[in-house]
Order: sequence, then C-alpha cells, then structure tokens
Amino acid sequence: MSKIFNSQELIDRYVQAVRFWLPASQQPDIPAELSEDLRSQIDEKESEIGRPLSENEVMAILKRCGPPMVVASRYRPQTSLIGPVLFPIYLFVLKLVLLWVLTPLFLVIIGPAMILPASNRFSALLSTFGTFGTALFMSAAVITMVFAILERSQAALKLTEWNKHSLPPLPKNPQPSKTQSVFELVFAVGGFLYLLAIPHYDFLVLGPAAAFLKINPAFMATFYWPVLFLSMLGMAQRILLLVRPMWSWYPAASHLFGTAIGLTVIHYILNFAVQPPGDWHPYVVLVDAASASLQVKKTEAIVNVSILLSMAGTWLGLCIAFVIQTWELLRQIRKGVPQAGDPALLRML
Amino acid sequence: MPNSNGANSELFESLRMELRRGCLVLAVLARLKTEQYGYTLRKSLSEAGLEIDEGTLYPLLRRLETQGLLVSTWREQDKRNKRFYRRSPQGELVFTQLLSEWLDINASLDRTLQEAGQA
Repeated sequence: MSKIFNSQELIDRYVQAVRFWLPASQQPDIPAELSEDLRSQIDEKESEIGRPLSENEVMAILKRCGPPMVVASRYRPQTSLIGPVLFPIYLFVLKLVLLWVLTPLFLVIIGPAMILPASNRFSALLSTFGTFGTALFMSAAVITMVFAILERSQAALKLTEWNKHSLPPLPKNPQPSKTQSVFELVFAVGGFLYLLAIPHYDFLVLGPAAAFLKINPAFMATFYWPVLFLSMLGMAQRILLLVRPMWSWYPAASHLFGTAIGLTVIHYILNFAVQPPGDWHPYVVLVDAASASLQVKKTEAIVNVSILLSMAGTWLGLCIAFVIQTWELLRQIRKGVPQAGDPALLRML
Repeated sequence: MPNSNGANSELFESLRMELRRGCLVLAVLARLKTEQYGYTLRKSLSEAGLEIDEGTLYPLLRRLETQGLLVSTWREQDKRNKRFYRRSPQGELVFTQLLSEWLDINASLDRTLQEAGQA
C-alpha cells in the first residue's frame, strides 16, 4: 500500500528552512505568512484539478518560490561590509598597500635580505614567498576591517560632506621647465668633472685629512668606473630631458632606472667593506701606516665608519625612493597610455 | 553568438527588474486601498498583468509596512490565519504623490518617445 503524501509536511519543512535564515525579530511572522500563501496556492490548484497534488507538483511550487536561503535573504535590508561611498577609497588603499608598497618592499628589501645571505637559497625563497603571502593576507584583512569600521561610523565622520576646497587641484604640467633642466645638466657636468679629477687629487674627497689618509686603492679600482658610469648616465638623462621634453613618461622612468643602478652600486659598496664576512676592508687607508699616531688611526676608523653608515642610509633612502618612483611611473603609465591613433602617441615618438 | 545573447538577456532581465521595481510599489499601494491578504493581492495583480512572485511580494509588503505606508492585522478566514494589509493614512498621502509623479513621468516619456520616433 503506497504511503499518502502529506503536502503540509513538505511546506512546513520548507518554511522551517526559510525561518532558519531569518533575523530573530522577523520570526515567526514571515514563516506563517509564507506558509499560508503556499497552502493557498496548493488548495487552489487541487480544487482546479479535483485531486490532491503529488509530491512532485508541490515541489514544483516550492522550487518556483526559490531556495530557502534566497527567500529569507529578500526580507533583509541590503547590507554590505563596505558600501558604495567608501568602496572606491577602499580599493585604492588596498591596491596602494598590496601592489605598490608591499610588493616592491619584498622585491627590493625584504626578499634580498632574506635570500642573499641564506645558505639554502631555494628554501629562503620559499620562506620569503610564505612571508609575502602572509603579509598580503594580513594587510588586506586589516584594511578591510578598518574600512568596515569606517563604514559603520560614516555618518559621524561626515565623509560625504565636501566643498570646493576639498577638491584636489588639477595636476601641474608634468614637463620640467627648461631652466630647471639646464641647471640640472650644468650640475651633472660639474659632478662628472669632479669625479674625473678625484684619482689625481685625494683632497677633493678627504679635504685636509688627505695629508694622512687616502682612498683605498682596491676600492678605487672596483668602484671608480661604475660611479663614473652613474654620473655619465645622469648627464645623458638631463640631455634627453632637454631635447625630448614631450616624453611625459621619461622623467619618472629615468629616475627609476637611475635609482635601480644606484641601489646596485651601493649594495656592492656596502659589501666591499665586509668581504668576505668578518674581514674588514676600509674605504680609506693611512698614507703612512707605520708612523701614524693613535689619533690618526682613530680618525681613519671614524671616517670609515662614517662612510659605511652614510652608504647604508643612502641605500635605505634609495629603497624608499625606488618604491615611490615605481608607483609614480606606473601611475603615469596607467593615466597616460595612449591608444592607437591618439595624437599623444605621435607626440611621444 | 550564444554568449552575447546570454549576456544580453541577462542585461535585459536586470533592466526589466529595475523598471518594474518602482511600478510594483505603486501597483501594490493602489490595490491596498481595500484590505487584502498576500495571496489574493498577488492573484489580483497577476490578473491585471503584473506577475509578482511570493519571494518579491512579501518582502515588499514588509518593507512598506516598516516604512509606515501599510498596516496589517492577522485574522482568521476560512479556518486559517491570514495577514491582511491596507494603506495607512501616511500610505494614502504617499500614494497620491507617487501617482502624480508616475503620471508626469509617463507623460514625459510618451513625449520623449514620440519625439524620438520610437512610439
């Protein structure tokens, strides 16, 4: 004997599933109303066809009504973790921190610092990737949390209020002035001539201390030409700025390139002092070590440490500049990438 | 192209829902001049050509009631408890304003479509 189908039981199960997803304040009002509507539909259909509905027919009615979770969600007011007012700022901050701060920071500073000194570089690389992933995840989570809190205190913060003074000024002409470019070139040429003279006149670097100190010949042999190359590069950059002022992307790109080369050279200058590890190679040495007084030896040590510290400071500064310049360049590329047929493309060539 | 057709039909559906949303509020408020419960309201709207499923109607009724435009009472009818809705005094006022707005929009749209040769 087949079991008689109880449509009310199916309705009750459906309504119970809807109730589960409803806010407590709306229970049991909504389920009762929904149950009544479904019952009315079934009753009407049954009186129309003159027989009780089958399980499949009742299921068809419930299916048309929708999945319980979706039905319940329609009773809730539209909510969002971060609303449309704050979302563009949230996206901007997220991209800024994840792409333009954390990524370059790991590529330029943390990555090399973790991988280069490691004995097992593959393992260090994996570890760096792990740390990078964790840093990305944690930063995204913290930024999202902060914006979710801001979203809830938006009214208090009056974020939607604005006036003409809160509008950012129009961007200035990115092209540098001709006078500025000429002066930069003059200084670059002066710096180049100064570098050319250094091997012949130690006092140009050491001043009065050149009487008892000289630049370490090993240091000069290794770094004189790379530094001279950097100086020549600087001159070439300035000349290009003068002859191609319409290349709006060029200043940012050349600054970034120069910073990258500078970072590389300073990295090796820093390594020079402690190469191999534990063995101290001074930047400046005594002219006459045999007859030097204790005071002179102390001065030599102070000068070497000062140079080392200033190089380390410069390296750190250049790392920060690298991050900022990368961001500037990418921003300029994103804003100014001309489309095919755009007259700006012709101006760039 | 099936993908393009699918995207178009999805876009059309989304725009259609957007267009219907405001009209449904007006239609529901119009019908609830006299007291009705959810199922009969849905049937009467459907008979007038405005199909609305229970998943849309009941949340809408709930929202209008929360906004003070409707009042509801539970009452037994045909041995079953049913929730009856009707316009509140505030609902009467808002309905009159919305109706006037709707007639203006309708007239403007008619003129615009005629000028554009679309009507």
